[in-house]
Amino acid sequence: MSVALDITLCALVLGVGWATVAGHGVFRAVIFFITYGLLLAIVWARLGAYDVALAEAAISAGLTGVLLLAAHGRLRRLNASQEVPLHLNLPAAVVAVGIAAGLGWAWFALPAPTAPDLSQALPQSGVGNPVTAVLLNFRAWDTLLESVILLAALLGLWMLARDHAWDKPLGLPYHARPGGVLASFGRVLPPIGLIFGVYLVWAGADTTGGAFQGGTVLAAVCLVTIMAGVLHAPRVEQAAWRAALVLGPGVFVLSGIAGAVFAQGFLALPPALAKPAIVTIEAALTVSIAVTLVLLVIGPPDEGEQDA
Amino acid sequence: MTVWLHIVAIVLLASLGGALWRVWRGRSQADRMMAAQLIGTSGVAVLIVLAALQDWTLLVVAFALALLAALAAVGFVTSQSPDGAGDPEEAHPPKGWRDRGRNG
Repeated sequence: MSVALDITLCALVLGVGWATVAGHGVFRAVIFFITYGLLLAIVWARLGAYDVALAEAAISAGLTGVLLLAAHGRLRRLNASQEVPLHLNLPAAVVAVGIAAGLGWAWFALPAPTAPDLSQALPQSGVGNPVTAVLLNFRAWDTLLESVILLAALLGLWMLARDHAWDKPLGLPYHARPGGVLASFGRVLPPIGLIFGVYLVWAGADTTGGAFQGGTVLAAVCLVTIMAGVLHAPRVEQAAWRAALVLGPGVFVLSGIAGAVFAQGFLALPPALAKPAIVTIEAALTVSIAVTLVLLVIGPPDEGEQDA
Repeated sequence: MTVWLHIVAIVLLASLGGALWRVWRGRSQADRMMAAQLIGTSGVAVLIVLAALQDWTLLVVAFALALLAALAAVGFVTSQSPDGAGDPEEAHPPKGWRDRGRNG
């Protein structure tokens, strides 16, 4: 029976993936892509990768959909073309097929990787969730660089701002009818999301969850409050928001240096202090990830098209 | 019991086909958006069934999806308003909204 379930799931993923790239119209492709992310979350759940399923569900449902729909709305207001020309782009097709063939070849040619046995090292890591142990202890260097990449992406986005808009609030000036459905939604959802996001970070030490998943949930509910006009988007110059952006990478680097001075090396965590250190780093990272994702989705400082 | 849960999951997944057909045919953009919301609801159901099949931890994933699936609808109605930043319930943006809270 489980084979039939997996085949149904695979057929849906392939069908939705095909429909995303094949049909006419940007809007339909956007909706299919949102659906595609949801199906991928179910696939990861089916594969037993619960942390990945959680990240995929939060990112695709909470952030990507909003981002793509806003981009589509902007194209429409600028009277840009809505039709995707459906002719074969031969060089792109050749490159894509080549990459797919190369990956397929690598799958069969390379020896099957033998994952290191975590069961010996896990008790030393300070946490019970093997994913968190790898992300924040055994391979902390990768995670540190990833947290810096998010910051670099935001700086790249801010460079798109026009000079005269630089001191304006980030993103479009959102507004909603006071007491309307949207404004109410912006007040009802955030408390639940806040508790859930903090829960995910705390639970991430021992079960499914983590800083990235929790940060994404927090970012999504913060985005709702801004889009419902309840909170106003920050400005680039506001020091508190800038501090929130660098808090996570900053705490991470400081703990790394502390490891170099007091323990075996940069980013090394002594087993006795591993749990509190990881929880502290995760909490700081969550703040930075949430703020960075919100600012990435609402975009550079903007006054709306009427002023352009 | 396990067989029944598998059958329920397959039926739920197959029912997505109807919503996918609505996304493909559409007619209006709102039709497509509502179909996507329906798929989100069914996705939560599938995840709950999978939680019963595999591991109750999956309920966290189902909850995340249930919490955030409505965000796409918020993004949709906002992007459909005349200035891309509004609310369909507003007939016209209130006077001076552009300056509200922006000068301080």
